[in-house]
Amino acid sequence: MQPPLLTTRRDFLRTTLLGGALSWTVPSFVANTFGALHAQADGALTQVATGKDGPILILLQLAGGNDGLNTVIPYTNDYYYQARPTLGVKPDQVLKLSDTLGLNPAMVGFKSLFDAGRLSVVSGVGYPNPNRSHFRSTEIWQTASDEEKYLTDGWIGRYFDNACAGCDPTVGITIGDRLPQSFSSHNPTGVCLQNPASYRFMGAGLNDDEELAYRSMFGGAADGGQSGGSVSMLSGTITLHNGQNALDFLERTSMDAQVSSDKIRDIAGKVKNIATYPGGGLANNLKLVARLIAGGLPTRVFYVSQGGYDTHTNQRGSHDTRLKELAESVKAFTDDLTAMGQFDRVTMMTFSEFGRRVLENGSHGTDHGAAAPMFIIGSQIKSGLLGAEPSLAPTDLEDGDIKFNTDFRSVYATLLQDWLKTPSVPILGRQFDTLQMIA
Amino acid sequence: MFATLPAAQWNEATAAHLLNRAGFGGSPTDIANLHQMGLDRAVSWLVDYEKTPDDTPAPDWTQNIPENFYTSRQAILKAADPDTRRELDRQNRALENKQIADLRYWWMRRMALGPRPFQEKMTLFWHGHFATSFEKVRSPYFLWLQNETMRQNATGSFPQLLTAIAEDPAMLDYLDGERSNKNKPNENFAREVLELFTLGEGHYTEQDIQQSAKAYTGWGIAPDRLHYQYHPNNHDPGPKTVFGQTGNFTGEEVLQLICRQPQCAAFITAKIWRFFVQDEPPAPIVAALAADFAGHGMDLKRLMRTIFQSQEFYAPDVVRSQIKSPVQWLISATHQLEAPMPTEPMTLVMLLQLGQELFQPPNVKGWDGGVGWITTNSLLDRYNFAAALVEGQRVPLPALQGQMRSVANTLEEDALLQIAPAAVTTLFTPDDLSTPDNFLDAMQARFLNGTLNPLRLASLQDFLKTRSPIEETDIRKSIRLLMSTPEYQLT
Repeated sequence: MQPPLLTTRRDFLRTTLLGGALSWTVPSFVANTFGALHAQADGALTQVATGKDGPILILLQLAGGNDGLNTVIPYTNDYYYQARPTLGVKPDQVLKLSDTLGLNPAMVGFKSLFDAGRLSVVSGVGYPNPNRSHFRSTEIWQTASDEEKYLTDGWIGRYFDNACAGCDPTVGITIGDRLPQSFSSHNPTGVCLQNPASYRFMGAGLNDDEELAYRSMFGGAADGGQSGGSVSMLSGTITLHNGQNALDFLERTSMDAQVSSDKIRDIAGKVKNIATYPGGGLANNLKLVARLIAGGLPTRVFYVSQGGYDTHTNQRGSHDTRLKELAESVKAFTDDLTAMGQFDRVTMMTFSEFGRRVLENGSHGTDHGAAAPMFIIGSQIKSGLLGAEPSLAPTDLEDGDIKFNTDFRSVYATLLQDWLKTPSVPILGRQFDTLQMIA
Repeated sequence: MFATLPAAQWNEATAAHLLNRAGFGGSPTDIANLHQMGLDRAVSWLVDYEKTPDDTPAPDWTQNIPENFYTSRQAILKAADPDTRRELDRQNRALENKQIADLRYWWMRRMALGPRPFQEKMTLFWHGHFATSFEKVRSPYFLWLQNETMRQNATGSFPQLLTAIAEDPAMLDYLDGERSNKNKPNENFAREVLELFTLGEGHYTEQDIQQSAKAYTGWGIAPDRLHYQYHPNNHDPGPKTVFGQTGNFTGEEVLQLICRQPQCAAFITAKIWRFFVQDEPPAPIVAALAADFAGHGMDLKRLMRTIFQSQEFYAPDVVRSQIKSPVQWLISATHQLEAPMPTEPMTLVMLLQLGQELFQPPNVKGWDGGVGWITTNSLLDRYNFAAALVEGQRVPLPALQGQMRSVANTLEEDALLQIAPAAVTTLFTPDDLSTPDNFLDAMQARFLNGTLNPLRLASLQDFLKTRSPIEETDIRKSIRLLMSTPEYQLT
């Protein structure tokens, strides 16, 4: 007997408590042993309607510290070319967005999105007292904290706690093998998924008849030396909440896995992509996101990540390769969503833990810096150039780094209020200015 | 400093805890043998591992070094026509992929089967601490050298280990030290050595990073790309100001300065406590340990012996509170099942899926560990892989894509892609199998070194109550169910 297809945590509990004897499979064993435990804990849950037609936010992390200056290039700025004698992108090569800014020539896909009114650039995004550690700055972006404040929960996790407490665990889905700290919350944290084919409890081990699309053994390393830098993934650190022990955490995760696995596999197996994607890990992950969206999961937030932006040495080739992969993959994703009739529900935000130093270093690379641009992509956005372009004049820099004009939490606040339609203050702790970002 | 565990509390449970944390667990026989030794001898057997001979041979390909590495690279460079160069380059990459896979498996077997489990566990700790990845360092030979450096210095003095790692070719490549230039020093290594290797965020300034970066210039790799070499012409001999002290410091001198910061001993002891003992190290314990560590030349062996003998290490809230790493999960499962390590492709696929590819940590901070190992997906994988270990499994060939195929020797491919069912009947005595309760006791002792949550235990009792006598298939299913519990993920 197949375990029943479950739609919410509450249905799951009801079914397992009232459903009587299930046959002895691992899923039923798991169901049996969790039913009573969680019925006590979660008895008073109220299911918030998440619906399958609501707005969706996609967070795309560029891990390692993306060099904003070589992504959105101030191609008329002499300071830029003085600071970047070997790395500077020539004015005649940039893909012009305005009289002063142009995209890296590898980002043809982003240029066409911009021209179609589906991409905007927020210039000079950062926060006060910028931290130049990958790990600390990632944590600041993931938790939306002030520089001197340490928070456990992520900003998306706090959104879940505020707006979706008791929701189906698929309210947040991370594609990858680590849960980002953004999702850390009391309940739920969403699910983490790498490979839908194996995302289930299997009857007698790994079934022969089932396609097991293991990722290539060597993953992102296949494209060779230098490209990855020393950062291929940066998820922030998930820690236990006060009073929670490792066993509690395992029990909750086991339960969420059980609740979500049938549905996710069902959808991933049924829905087909329409557009053609390039190769690579990011495109594969976005392909899966498109299928899950079209399949009607009640997911509000998806999280995907692309690594390799820690370009301390020989930056030009590897950075351009990453940006090309980014632009092509995202372009294909938006084409796919459009063809599936889903693009109107989706807004994507890119972010990176910091930009890089204005002055290139002695090894044709750049060291850790501060403010950088962000991309907002969607069909319901006000496209164009947002935020004030930062000055590169040496006297306007802070320790050689770009000063921010727009706090990243202003972008978060705008997405929460104007896109996810939820008050931002309970999530971000105070009111940040919002931007004219959503149409 | 710390109270030693009273002799009365040295029993099979505490012995199992020691073997789990200082090593990779063991069978009931292994635990009984350790228990027989008594606490002092047991700790000494683990920590004073030099007394135990270890003749594990190095991987074959680390021999004939010039032929295997230098000459092949020269051939690529010398190839006149681009097609030949591309083909040689492709062959070389395939070879590197095969070598790194072999190295991963070689180390897994050494951790599981070698005579010095603690030396290997400590080496694994240092691999996570001084994280270096094949994703950037494409030389399996460098990564093997680094692994040996960590092994040889695993429990010596910390400053000595730190210097050896700073001048290690893999690290010089990974954090760009060899590309640093005295005119415009690269700050990558200078930052991470302070933030991740010695002091932690908040205990240094941006100026300390920029100044110390100058001191590390000149460290490089020899032209044959086989070992470290100092390039005096690329060293900045001028004055640097680090932690308020100014001098014409060399890189080695700056590392000594860093080690003398009191925060360094505190940072290292706290991290060791987190890895070997518990997630949240109590402040008084770290302070006491750090003071002793700093006062004794940062002697790692003394520190580890103190920890393993202390009552605090065996506290009830420490035992079985740690989430197993994928490496720990797999090796301890093979010990509990008294089964061989699965074949190379199967082992590597499991580690990859569970999120711990050796020699390829996600970033320079290494693996977060703890709850970071667990997601809905990785937990499902653990449950499914448990089934594969217990019940046997054959992975369909199409599942192994691209370079993964090259891991399997083509002649033996079929055999390598299978896991044989574990021989479960020999794990239990007739008495163990005489009643469900006896069986459940024996199974919990072997697989958990502890007990299941009562609800899950009741479910297993329910499962077994109609099964008398207990047959092989019942044993198999029961073990698999037990391994598919939250408790089984803990050690």
